[in-house]
Amino acid sequence: MSAAEPGLTVALVGNPNTGKSTLFNALTGLRQRVGNYPGVTVARKSGQCDCGEGTKVELVDLPGLYSLSASSPDEQVVIDALSGHLADDRRPDAVVVVIDATNLLRNLFLASQLSELGLPVVLVLNQADVAAEQGVKINADLLSRRLGGVPVVLTSAWKGEGIAAVRRAIGEALRSRVRMPAVEWPALVEEALADVAAGVAADIGRAPGRADVERLLFDSTTSVGQRLGWEAPRREAVIRAARDKVRRAGYNPLAAEPLIHYERLRKLLEGVVQGGGNRTGGSAAVDQVLLHRVFGPIVFAGIMLGMFAAVFWLAKFPMQWISGGVDWLKAVVAPTLDGLPMLQSLVTDGMIGGVGAFLAFLPQILILFLFVSILEDSGYMARAAFIMDRLFSWCGLNGKSFVPMLSGFACAIPGLLSTRTIEDPKARLATAFAVPFMSCSARFPIYALMCAAFIGPVYGPGWESVVMVGMHCVGLLFAVPTAFVLTRFVLKVKPQPFVLELPRYQMPKPRDVLWRMWQNAAEFVSKAGTVIFAITIIVWALSYFPRDPAVEQRIRATSVGVASAAVDAQVQSAYVEQSWMGRFGKSVQPIFDPCGFDWKITVGVLASFPAREVIVSTLGVTYSVGEGAEADSQHLQQVMRAAKWTEGPRIGTPIFSLAAVLALMVFFALCSQCGPTVATLAQETGGWKWAAISFFYMTTLAWLMAVAVYQVVSRLT
Amino acid sequence: MNLEAVLIGAIVGVAAGWLLRRWLAAARRRKEGGCAGDCGCAAKIQPKK
Repeated sequence: MSAAEPGLTVALVGNPNTGKSTLFNALTGLRQRVGNYPGVTVARKSGQCDCGEGTKVELVDLPGLYSLSASSPDEQVVIDALSGHLADDRRPDAVVVVIDATNLLRNLFLASQLSELGLPVVLVLNQADVAAEQGVKINADLLSRRLGGVPVVLTSAWKGEGIAAVRRAIGEALRSRVRMPAVEWPALVEEALADVAAGVAADIGRAPGRADVERLLFDSTTSVGQRLGWEAPRREAVIRAARDKVRRAGYNPLAAEPLIHYERLRKLLEGVVQGGGNRTGGSAAVDQVLLHRVFGPIVFAGIMLGMFAAVFWLAKFPMQWISGGVDWLKAVVAPTLDGLPMLQSLVTDGMIGGVGAFLAFLPQILILFLFVSILEDSGYMARAAFIMDRLFSWCGLNGKSFVPMLSGFACAIPGLLSTRTIEDPKARLATAFAVPFMSCSARFPIYALMCAAFIGPVYGPGWESVVMVGMHCVGLLFAVPTAFVLTRFVLKVKPQPFVLELPRYQMPKPRDVLWRMWQNAAEFVSKAGTVIFAITIIVWALSYFPRDPAVEQRIRATSVGVASAAVDAQVQSAYVEQSWMGRFGKSVQPIFDPCGFDWKITVGVLASFPAREVIVSTLGVTYSVGEGAEADSQHLQQVMRAAKWTEGPRIGTPIFSLAAVLALMVFFALCSQCGPTVATLAQETGGWKWAAISFFYMTTLAWLMAVAVYQVVSRLT
Repeated sequence: MNLEAVLIGAIVGVAAGWLLRRWLAAARRRKEGGCAGDCGCAAKIQPKK
């Protein structure tokens, strides 16, 4: 095979959190999501890598795994990819094994197992800078010689050091096709492996791969037998007899593989690694506080409070600038459409008003992700997982559920995909059920609008962040008991021990932090310019038509002597009330009346079922069209503060009372208002049953809690 | 029917049609084993039958 041959594929594998995605990004120039905690990559990602001398390969970034014994779906993806069992994919031409240079022995176990696949290998000893700081000296040349010439490269991917050497090493491995020597099994174990291979070949008519045979012999549970089509009764008899041979060799069959591999690796590393022993040092001292049973949660709560206070404080002025920009744009555009009242209303009230109300929250989203990225990259978020494990273990989940839950705070979809790291299918289902409760960034604009309009001005700016933290906790408060009931009584999940490798603390890399902010900002703006823009046009049309001139004539005839501006507002309000949206909102409003929602909020709630962030632009349009106001964020707040009930027992009182504001936020915290999340839940749970249960459960719970909050708070205030 | 009404009808129609097409495309992606969201993640994760 020529190294320049097109269609070469190289897989990137290694233990979790060794910097695979960082190396992948450095080699491909792509911007794959990275994080300083295990389980960030849960699916296969690929990009082009130039290895020099005309060799271009497709580099595939795979989820992290500790061994070839797959216990979770993301690990299975790796094994399927390496053995060529993924749809549309063939077996890779070489494997780059990324190894944490500070923990060579444990990381090399996977490399040692991979040697059985018979693929050319490159060993990348990443985080070499950290190893050097810890006083660890690694003789890469000696290790390479002992491994039969397998290229061994020292890198620090996050600093961009050693990347060119990795490119050259990949090219070299593809040209020389040098393989890592396979482990030498004791004679009786080798015999047992041969027996299993012969048993498979006799029954299915073809010889199995060596790696498959090892999984059949050494793993207590494996899907290899099913994949090969080896019938269970015969399979069990052959494997039982083979394991007896392993016992005669002096090994427990289920522990033989790591024992033999580690024995080999210890000999291999003699003289290769020198020094070290100062692995924990400062981290341990910091962790004594951050992971403390009492201080840990206090520090965590303090960090969250500080983060939201900073988000409000720092975003205040940029938000005002955006609102000013929206005002200016309206003032410029409106006169150009004089004489075309419908089009003028569509462009100013609908398009600019609706999208402007949504875009005003961009600074807060940016600042929020700045803090989240810093916390993640520094290694603190993995500590937060450890703190939360106590809460999660109480409700039958384990700390592995934290990563999906944490991802869910940004967006439920990657959170649901992250559940693939959980081995037990029942625990995975329970976690997937709990993830949509996490307060995703799409909920942020409605919380921010309500806090800025009603909490800050009345109770002081400090309360904005308190309410904000509270709203982010509401989802968690209901997710935990929900998971408890689900795991204990419905799914009956067996308790799982939680093992989390705490990453080292590191200084967040500005480029990665800024990139994450940019990605989220781009997604937010793109959503404003596409989905929100289109929905805003529909909402505007539904709240503008039909427009019967008789409505205006009747009001003007009965308003002689009333100020012109007041009559205009009355006309606009009457038009929107008799629009399709108004009629629909009024007919459905009785359902939401116990929550304290008027028909305009009801319309906003209903329009938000496909995507919850639509509420802000919908309120922007309905209040803009209905009140003749300019509905950017600042003006929308003023109009909402002035809105009063015009009929019923609450006539003349503010619509947005404290009770209604809290009820609305609680409703949005708990309701299932995201089409893609429901679809992803169906995808991850293998059908619509759990997605439908989740949708109805969350929506009913949201309504009940909104009613409870409104009724209780309105009686207390 | 005046030109303004026709223009408004066209804009609203295009917006509704675009949203419908987008949702149908997401449903098709999901059916093919891809991501139901907009991020394009989780592509090619279905094991071979």
